[in-house]
Amino acid sequence: MLAVFRGELFKFVRRPGMWILVVLLLVLAVVVGYAILWLVYTVSPPSAARGLPPGTTFADFKVALYPQNFVKQTFSTWGSLGGVFALIVGVLAQGSEYGWGTIKTLYTQRSGRLTMLFGKLAAVALIVLIMVVGLFGVDAASSVVIATLDGKSIAFPAADEILKAIGAGFLIFGFWAVFGMTLATVFRQSAMAIGLGLAYGLVVEVLIFDLFRLGGIGVQQVQQWFPIANTGYLSDSFGAVRLRGTTALTATPFADATHAVVVLLLYVVAFTAISAWFTRTRDVTS
Amino acid sequence: MAIISKVIAQGMRRPPPAGLGGDKVVETNGLTKVYGKGIIAVDRLDLSVYRGEVYGFLGPNGAGKTTTLRMLLGLINPTAGSARVMGATPGSPASLVKVGAIVETPAFYPYMTGYDNLRLLARYCGVPLSRVEATLEQVELTPRAHHKFSTYSLGMKQRLGIAAALLKEPDLLILDEPTNGLDPQGMADVRNLIIELGKGARTVLISSHLLGEVELMCTRVGVIRHGKIVAEGTIEELKGAATLTVRGTPADLAMTVLATDAGAENVKELGDGAFSLKVDLARAAEINQHLVQAGVAVSELHADERSLEEIFMELTGTEGGL
Repeated sequence: MLAVFRGELFKFVRRPGMWILVVLLLVLAVVVGYAILWLVYTVSPPSAARGLPPGTTFADFKVALYPQNFVKQTFSTWGSLGGVFALIVGVLAQGSEYGWGTIKTLYTQRSGRLTMLFGKLAAVALIVLIMVVGLFGVDAASSVVIATLDGKSIAFPAADEILKAIGAGFLIFGFWAVFGMTLATVFRQSAMAIGLGLAYGLVVEVLIFDLFRLGGIGVQQVQQWFPIANTGYLSDSFGAVRLRGTTALTATPFADATHAVVVLLLYVVAFTAISAWFTRTRDVTS
Repeated sequence: MAIISKVIAQGMRRPPPAGLGGDKVVETNGLTKVYGKGIIAVDRLDLSVYRGEVYGFLGPNGAGKTTTLRMLLGLINPTAGSARVMGATPGSPASLVKVGAIVETPAFYPYMTGYDNLRLLARYCGVPLSRVEATLEQVELTPRAHHKFSTYSLGMKQRLGIAAALLKEPDLLILDEPTNGLDPQGMADVRNLIIELGKGARTVLISSHLLGEVELMCTRVGVIRHGKIVAEGTIEELKGAATLTVRGTPADLAMTVLATDAGAENVKELGDGAFSLKVDLARAAEINQHLVQAGVAVSELHADERSLEEIFMELTGTEGGL
């Protein structure tokens, strides 16, 4: 499997699409997560502060952009949306093999099909880890720049919290990547897999439960077993930034981090098993 | 037709061809593939390919050639029957380690160079990187090795496919229509390469619908139609014995000389002074000399040999679909 893993990395490194995706995520992390917010909080006129909690101004929100809050800020921006990038990584890793017909080239080499799949999974996991570490890295760097610009002290969260955050981010992004790989395996292509993955992640699950909620039906007991809800629980478990004189801006998650980790791990295992079953049994006719 | 029927009858579970021993590299028993709602692509196929032969798998489009080759590579699961390739289950690492293959159009990563594509496969196969340059040289792709695969012509893609198949120095080469998309010079080059590769202990199983190609390359041929082997044998066996046609006057004198030379049972009178002889074609000059010495005026003497195309059409019921 090591040969397959190295082979997959060899492909990833040479694939421009992968670099574009990773770089785009990191650039967006700086621009959307920090630069634009800092600009808004810095230059907005006082009249724009209507609707904020009494006594607060936009400038108070800047605290979220400082190093002590970079973990919370990263989760608040990317806890849900960032997964989309990981989904695309997973889809491209597997779906392109069908699109180019290289799946038959791979399956006629020495390794068996499952070895190929698990080698690819391991390589995707490494790419996802690089994305997550990169994301926290650029966010930390951005927060230092902003704190320096604002003349604030530079104090990071404890190392164990940062490590826990990287682990949680890896699980959230990993879930999305495996979800993408599974969709690509099932549909034997990239376009359908990305479309369905995005539709589910951004619309379907949210929409279903919002509709129930609209009807006054309590849905959290059911929702706690769905993946996107659990990526939210895990992100929210790192807490929200407290503004001066206010409580946290987000509600306490319905389920705790342990619950979210277990559920997401179960989904990762289930999707991997589905991919393995399709990989092992299905004919390659492309 | 009688000869063909004989070949068909002999083709089923026949003993190994002379000189090949009994070492089966590919063996199928009742191999069957049914798609969807009863579309039978391969129908109880019994096939044996022996070590060291260049076996041509011949059939019109849609006859089941590619499906069979895909089953032998483990890409497609059979609906029924079994197969062994290099003594192992098709598609298993034990089988694939000794098999190089091209199935239909060679598929590689378009964003990588030909060289990098082969390097990647070398990693997967555990083959030393020195093999990459050697195989590129073998298929004469070295000058374009560092260009992206997406910029390759169809012919160059085919060559890269052959290079990839050779990377493992396989004991068995499975090539599905390897000259597809090549220009005449490219086809000739690939043909010569395959003939060269087929020398020695290496076995080549090649599918094609190009009869001339098969005739030039293969030591034995299996003809497939509607998923079934309808004939199997050497090219000579499939063609049957050639005959010699002689025309001379006087006809009765010619008949006497020919009967003496070839045996009366091997001479058939065609009328108008023409005769058909079942003899070794190498004796044509000798027979001509005897006729002339006996006073027969010989106006025509030529070999009559059925082309593989005629045989193929007769076996597969196809016309112009080659």
